[in-house]
Amino acid sequence: MSDILTYTPVEEIPKIRDDLRATFRTGVTRSLEWRKRQLYQLARMAQNEAEAVCDAMTRDFGKPRFEVIVAELSAVIRVALKSAEKLEEWARPELPDVPDSQKNWKPTIYKVPKGTALIISPWNFPVTLTLQPLVGAIAAGCCAVLKPSENVPHFSELLAKLVSQYLDTSAYRVVNGAVPEITKVLELQWDHIFYTGNGRVARIVTTAAAKHLTPCSLELGGKSPVVVDAAYDMELAAKRILWGKCNNAGQICVAPDYILVPRQKQDELVRGFEKAYRTFFPNGALDDADYGGIVNDFHFKRLSTMLDRSQGEKVGGAFEGRRDPARRRLEPVIVKGVDGNDSLLEEEIFGPLLPIVVVDSLDDAIDFINARPHPLVLYAFTEDPNVKERLINETQSGSIVFNDTFQHLAVAELPFSGIGESGYGYQFLRYTFEAFTHLRSSVDIPKSEESRLSLRYPPHKPEAYQVLGSALNIRIPE
Amino acid sequence: MADTTQLKYATLNEIDAIHATLRQSFRAGKLRSIAARKVQILQLAYLIQDNHDRFKEAFAADLGRPALETALLELDATIGDCKIAYDGVEKWARTEKAPFSLNFFPMRPVIRKEPKGVVLSISPFNYPVWLALGPMIGAIAAGNCFVLKPSELSPAVSGLIAELVPKYLDPDVVRIVLGAVPETTRLLELPWAHILYTGSGRVAKIVCAAAAKTLTPVSTELGGKSPVVIDPKCDLQTAAKRIMWGKCVNAGQTCVAPDYILVPEDAQDKVVQALKATHDEFYPTGPSTAGVFGRIVNHAHFRRLKGLLDRSAGEIAFGGETNENDKYISPTIVKNVKGDDSLMSEELFGPILPIVPVKNVDEAIAFINDRDNPLTLYVFSQDAAFKAKVFDNTLSGSAVANDTLVHCAVDGLPFGGIGPSGSGYHTRKYTFDLFTHLRSSLDSPAWVDAIFGSRFPPYTAKKESFLKSLLGVKLPPRPRQLANGTDQVGKGN
Repeated sequence: MSDILTYTPVEEIPKIRDDLRATFRTGVTRSLEWRKRQLYQLARMAQNEAEAVCDAMTRDFGKPRFEVIVAELSAVIRVALKSAEKLEEWARPELPDVPDSQKNWKPTIYKVPKGTALIISPWNFPVTLTLQPLVGAIAAGCCAVLKPSENVPHFSELLAKLVSQYLDTSAYRVVNGAVPEITKVLELQWDHIFYTGNGRVARIVTTAAAKHLTPCSLELGGKSPVVVDAAYDMELAAKRILWGKCNNAGQICVAPDYILVPRQKQDELVRGFEKAYRTFFPNGALDDADYGGIVNDFHFKRLSTMLDRSQGEKVGGAFEGRRDPARRRLEPVIVKGVDGNDSLLEEEIFGPLLPIVVVDSLDDAIDFINARPHPLVLYAFTEDPNVKERLINETQSGSIVFNDTFQHLAVAELPFSGIGESGYGYQFLRYTFEAFTHLRSSVDIPKSEESRLSLRYPPHKPEAYQVLGSALNIRIPE
Repeated sequence: MADTTQLKYATLNEIDAIHATLRQSFRAGKLRSIAARKVQILQLAYLIQDNHDRFKEAFAADLGRPALETALLELDATIGDCKIAYDGVEKWARTEKAPFSLNFFPMRPVIRKEPKGVVLSISPFNYPVWLALGPMIGAIAAGNCFVLKPSELSPAVSGLIAELVPKYLDPDVVRIVLGAVPETTRLLELPWAHILYTGSGRVAKIVCAAAAKTLTPVSTELGGKSPVVIDPKCDLQTAAKRIMWGKCVNAGQTCVAPDYILVPEDAQDKVVQALKATHDEFYPTGPSTAGVFGRIVNHAHFRRLKGLLDRSAGEIAFGGETNENDKYISPTIVKNVKGDDSLMSEELFGPILPIVPVKNVDEAIAFINDRDNPLTLYVFSQDAAFKAKVFDNTLSGSAVANDTLVHCAVDGLPFGGIGPSGSGYHTRKYTFDLFTHLRSSLDSPAWVDAIFGSRFPPYTAKKESFLKSLLGVKLPPRPRQLANGTDQVGKGN
C-alpha cells in the first residue's frame, strides 16, 4: 500500500457489493429525477473540484493542466449534463412498429437497469475513463463500484473522497487497491463489468466474468496506424499527427501509434513534424508545462528500452530527444525508415515515440495493417475518394478517422469501441447508457385476440395449417 | 429415412481449414455487397420451402414434433425472417449520420455498419431450425461469414441442415460443423469475431471462459425457470389455455416455456380445474395419440425429468403418465409444490407444470427475486396495477402479460436474457445488430483549424478560455437535497 492511496480492506469488498445490491433492490435508482440529481452532482463535482483534480494529476505524472481541463473535466461535465437532458428520451419505453395482426398485443421495449455494475479504469485519462462510464451507469439506473488505477494514487485517493461527498454512497462507491483487491472484486458477481485497459488484463477480467456469465465491455487499445497519402498536405498532416502524439505524451489509447507513408514523401513529412514541433514547444518539450510526463518508472524504462533497441534512424534537428529519468520526462522522438520487425512495432507504444514505416503502394499499407491485430482506430490523411473507399472496405478497425487524430472522441454522438484485440462494447452518451441497460421486451395479449390465436391450439385442424403455416407458400423473389 | 443417428463429425483438421477458408473469404470481401447477401438469404428461404416435408419428417424423428408446431414455430418463422432480412438489409446496413452537432458537423461524423468478420453460432436441439438458421440470416445480412455448430442431440434435423446448406448456400461463406464435445472444444480454441451460444448456463460458462482467451465477444441465450404469476381475479379460462399451450408446445422443451406457477393458495384448485379442462380440449383422444404432442429429445432427458417428478413432494393433480421407450411424458400438473422441491431445483424443460401456492402477490415477488433472473416473466391479470407491481419489482429478460411464447414472434422486440438467463439480443434486426460493428468515422477538413487551432500548443489562457466558451456548459441550479434526504450536497454551498 502506498502512503498516498488508502487501499480498501479486502474483507470489506463483498459487503460493499452487497450494500449496493440491497440499494438497487429498493428501487431508489428507478426514478429519473433521482438519477438526474446524481448526474448534476457529478457535473458539480467536476466543476468545483477542477483545481484539486488538476493538482492531483500534476503530482501523479505531470499531466498538463490544459489537457485535464479541456480533454477530461469539460468532457465529463458536458456528457453528464447531456445525459441528464436526454435521459427521459433514452429511458422511455419504445413502441416498435409491428404488423397489424400484432398491434393489439401492446408490444413494448422497457429500458431497465442491469443492476450493480463494476467500472475498472486506467491511469492515463483517469477522469474521463472513470466518470464517463459512471455517467452511463447512473443514467441507466445502475449502482456502481469504481475501481480506479493505483498507478495514479493522488487521483484515486481524491476520487474516493469526492465520490463520498458528492454522490449517494448507498449507490456509488470507490474501491482502491492493487492486485489482491482487484482479485477479490473479480471473484464477485456483477451485472456488468466495464473494463478499460489492456488486452492481457482484459483476458483475466473476462475469464473471471465467465464464471458468473457477467457481460463485459472492453475498451482496449493496440497500435493505431496512420496512413498518409502522397497527395495530402504534409505540413497539415504532420501538425495534426504530432498534436495527437504529444497529447498526454502519447499515453492515450487512440494515439497515432505509427505512420505508413510513401517512400518519396518521408522526408517532407519529417520536415512538417519539425516545423510543428517548433511551433508547439519553442524551447523543446522537456520542461514545457504544456507537455506531460510518463506515468511511472516502469513505463519510462519500457519506452527508453524500446527506443534504444530500435534499428530505425532517429530524426535529429529540432527533436533533441532529451530524457530526464528523475522526473520521467521523455521528449517526442521521430524514427524514420522503421521495418516491420522493429522494436517500435512489437507492442502498443503508449508514449511519445513515432515510428515511420515507408511503403511503396496503398496495397502494401493495407497488407501491413491487416497482418496485425485490428486497431482501435485507423487514421488516414487523404482527400482521394478511392483511397478512402479501399481503406474502408479492406481493413477493419474500431473507428476510422480521415484527416485528423482523435477528434472522433469529441463527437460524443458517435459510438466508440474496438474490434477484435482492441475490444468490444460501445460507449459515449446513449451508447454508454445502453451498455448498462437491459432491453426488457413485453407484450400483453387481450382476450379479444383469442379468435385470431385459437388456431394454434390442438387438435390442429387443416385450416390451421393453411393460415399459420402460410409462409411456406410465401412468394419469395426470384 | 437414412440412418440419421450416425452423423459424420468434422475432423479437427477440417475445422481449422474451414476457419481459415472463411477468413480468407471475408478478407476477399465476398459478402461485402448487399446484393451478394440477399442472394444467400433468398437461397436459405428456398432451402426451407423446397424441403419442408423432409424437415417435418426429421422433426418427427428427433422430437416427435406435431407437423403444425414445426410449420408454425420453425419453418414458417424462419422463412418469414428471411423475407424480413431480405427486405430490410439495405436499410439496416446503410451508414448513419451522427446526430447534428454545431461544433462537429463540418467533420462529417458518420457511423458505418460493418460486418465483424467470421462468426460462430452454437445452437441447441429444441428449436433446431429456428435457433440454427435464424442467427445465420442476421449474420449474413450483416456481411459476416458464418459457421454453425448445430446440436448433435437433434441428429435428423442437424444432419439435414448439413446436407442442404452446401447445396443452396456458398460454401465459401457459410459452413456447418457437425460434432460433439471434442469438435466444439476445437472450435472454441479458435478466435472468432463473435460467438452466439444458445443453450444451458453450465456450457455457457465453458464457452465464455474459452472465448476470454481470445477476447472473443460472446452473446448467450440461456434459460432458467420462467415463472407464471396468476392474479386469481383474471380471466382464468383464457389464461389456462395460453399457459397450457406454452407448456405443451414441443413437450415443454422451450427456453421460454412457462416453467412454474405462483398463485394464492385458495385459488390453486380453480387453476388446476381450468388447466385440466384445457388439456382435455387439446387432446380429446389423449396426448399420447401419435402426432398430436411432442416427445422428450432423448433418454437421458427423459430419465432426468422422470427423476424430478418421482422425487417431488407435491401432489400430481393430473397427468404423470410416462413411457420410456417412447420418451413420452404426458402434460402433468403438480400442486402444493414448495420452494425446495425437486421440481424447483432446475429448469424443467419438459411438460411438467408445478404450482407453488403463495399467500399473496408480495410473496410471489419475493419468491421470484430470491432466484435467478428468469428469461421471461409471465403475469396473467387484467388489472394494470397488479401487472405493474409484479413487473416493476422484478427483473427478467422479457415481461409478458396474458400469453406465453408469442413475444418471440414480434418483429421489433429484442429477445434476450439478463444475469444467468443470458446477455445480448437477437431476432431479425437485433440479430443483424448483434453481428454488426459500428465503425465511427469522420473526415476533418483543413479549414476547421481556423476555429479549432486553439487545441494546439503552446497552451495559453486565451486558448483555454476560448475552448471553454466553445465547448463549455451552464449547469442547472444547484440541487438542495440528495434523494436520501440528506442536506449534504458537497462543497460549494
